[in-house]
Amino acid sequence: MKGRIDTGGFGWVILGSLICFLAWRVRLGTFSEPGPGFIAFGAGSFLCVVGIIMLLSGLVSPASTEERVPWDRLFPRGVRLRLAYTVLLLFLYTMFLDKLGYVIGTFLLMWGLFLNWERPRWVTSMVASLVTVGVTYLVFEVWLHCQLPRGILPLG
Amino acid sequence: MSLVHDLFYGFGIAMQPWNLLACFLGVFIGTLVGVLPGIGPVGAMSLLLPITFGISPVTGIIMLAGIYYGSMYGGSTTSILVNIPGEAASVVTCLDGHQMALKGRAGPALGIAAFGSFIAGTLGLIGLMFLANILARVAVIFGPAEYFALMWLGLSLVTYLTQGSVLKGLTMAGLGLFLSLIGQDVITGKVRFAFGLMGLVDGVGLVPLVMGMFGVSEVLLNLENLYEKREVMKTRLRELLPNREDWKRSAAPIGRGTLIGFFLGILPGGGSVISSFVSYATEKKLSKHPEEFGKGAIEGVAGPESANNAASSSGFIPLFSLGIPANVIMALLLGALMIHGLRPGPLLITENPEVFWGTVASMYMGNVMLLVLNLPLIGLWVQILKVPYRTLFPLILLFCFIGAYSISANTFDLYIMLVFGILGYAFRKMGYEPAPLVLAFILGPMLEQNLRQALILSEGSMAVFVTRPLTAAPLLVSLILLLSTILPSLRRKRKEVITEED
Repeated sequence: MKGRIDTGGFGWVILGSLICFLAWRVRLGTFSEPGPGFIAFGAGSFLCVVGIIMLLSGLVSPASTEERVPWDRLFPRGVRLRLAYTVLLLFLYTMFLDKLGYVIGTFLLMWGLFLNWERPRWVTSMVASLVTVGVTYLVFEVWLHCQLPRGILPLG
Repeated sequence: MSLVHDLFYGFGIAMQPWNLLACFLGVFIGTLVGVLPGIGPVGAMSLLLPITFGISPVTGIIMLAGIYYGSMYGGSTTSILVNIPGEAASVVTCLDGHQMALKGRAGPALGIAAFGSFIAGTLGLIGLMFLANILARVAVIFGPAEYFALMWLGLSLVTYLTQGSVLKGLTMAGLGLFLSLIGQDVITGKVRFAFGLMGLVDGVGLVPLVMGMFGVSEVLLNLENLYEKREVMKTRLRELLPNREDWKRSAAPIGRGTLIGFFLGILPGGGSVISSFVSYATEKKLSKHPEEFGKGAIEGVAGPESANNAASSSGFIPLFSLGIPANVIMALLLGALMIHGLRPGPLLITENPEVFWGTVASMYMGNVMLLVLNLPLIGLWVQILKVPYRTLFPLILLFCFIGAYSISANTFDLYIMLVFGILGYAFRKMGYEPAPLVLAFILGPMLEQNLRQALILSEGSMAVFVTRPLTAAPLLVSLILLLSTILPSLRRKRKEVITEED
């Protein structure tokens, strides 16, 4: 298994180089007068060095290549759909939170998340979502005065 | 006498009704998050951090500290009853705690965990009072170079002791350092690495980042076992008290666990997790019957549970005396102190005695509250454990969203949290631990300021870091730690220390 390139190490070298470039653009300064990019340049260089060590250790050490887990085992197929669904719901919630407001937006999010894929119970998940929205609204908006978005309803 | 006087002053503050309520809420929420797998003390603290903005600093810190040491108590319950650690420091308790439960001895296991935690937590507090004061007096002479060296050592230790590959830990620390530099430069006022996004002008928010890395990513990880059923062992209150034989076997492990936890807790990067593992290994080595370990030895519960609670007390020492967090949880508390306008460091104890002594005194009371809470409420915690994860995870996600949004009522923070949630999930799946990233993110601005100040003061001479013992020693230790990861023999030794009891 020797001689495989560690793609992780390669990624860190690229990221480190990018950080070094960005740091150089905002001014590095000198040792006696370090500029705003001084530490970032150090962080970028550090990432490059560690990335190179990872690359090299991937090439020479059999242990590091054996430790690699196949993609399918890392992200099992059955989970991918549930994961994508949850992340999509969260992004949609973030996108429309200001427009829909806390009450409607959160109700829809909770309804989507509470839904049991194995045995869908629409009414139960709807009631659970309503209760969640009601209780969290009472606690965070009314009692703790967190400024939750109003949206299309006059409720905050 | 001054110490006693100061402690009484602290009790005067801690016993004010609001502080008493904050302490109770803190330890209650702490126990709850300790019991519930899927949300740890870091997630709970970052969730409640914005709520503390509206209350006095001391009340806020009392509540946040309560969550931390409360979660150490609560974590043992799930380890013993369900064989699922509520938080990382209780992983080792599963080994013998759950075996005891399978043999019908869940009660004594829970009891000794609670009593051991109480004894260790209280003794740790006594040490905290003495050492923090002494260290704060010494730290007054520290300059930017010394602070830089100490922070660098802390960061190196956290990375070195992180689970898995050190190289991966180092990359996370490097990335965290870069992320901390996004936004306005404190010295020149220039905005950097914001990529034209208004939301990044003030930098990446601490709470959205931590919520994403620890809250959202944890939920995404747990989605893999969404429909898994938990088997919860039944136990009754009258069965909770350990018998004389249990006490005889547990007394020395509690004492040793307290000492181990206390000293490892002070070390940057040490913390509760490492101390519980070291305590377990010590007990196994010292035991006349090491073969009983892993099959229900009470020493394997008493030692680690005491160690993680002692460490949770002593972890406050570097925070209160030097302003340097020993772990991610302390880093969050440091963030909370700074948000409240306090200056963590050696002058905190003299400039804001109410915060230090009020928190210390509240911890004494919190430990008593936890003992009272934990034992009679075992039934309640068991009921909570029966709530399926598919019901819990939407609530955890919602709390993360509310927590991140309520800081500045800005949806940009929600995007930050989501991005770091997905990144955190991917990183953890690939064996990258988020702790070095978060610690580097919090220490980053202080590290930068101290390094730049030290260089300006020394007119660019690097000698300032090697000619003074207080700077040279921490930097040398850091260098040895980093180099040791390259040397195969030392790398093996490190792996042994971290995974000894896996």
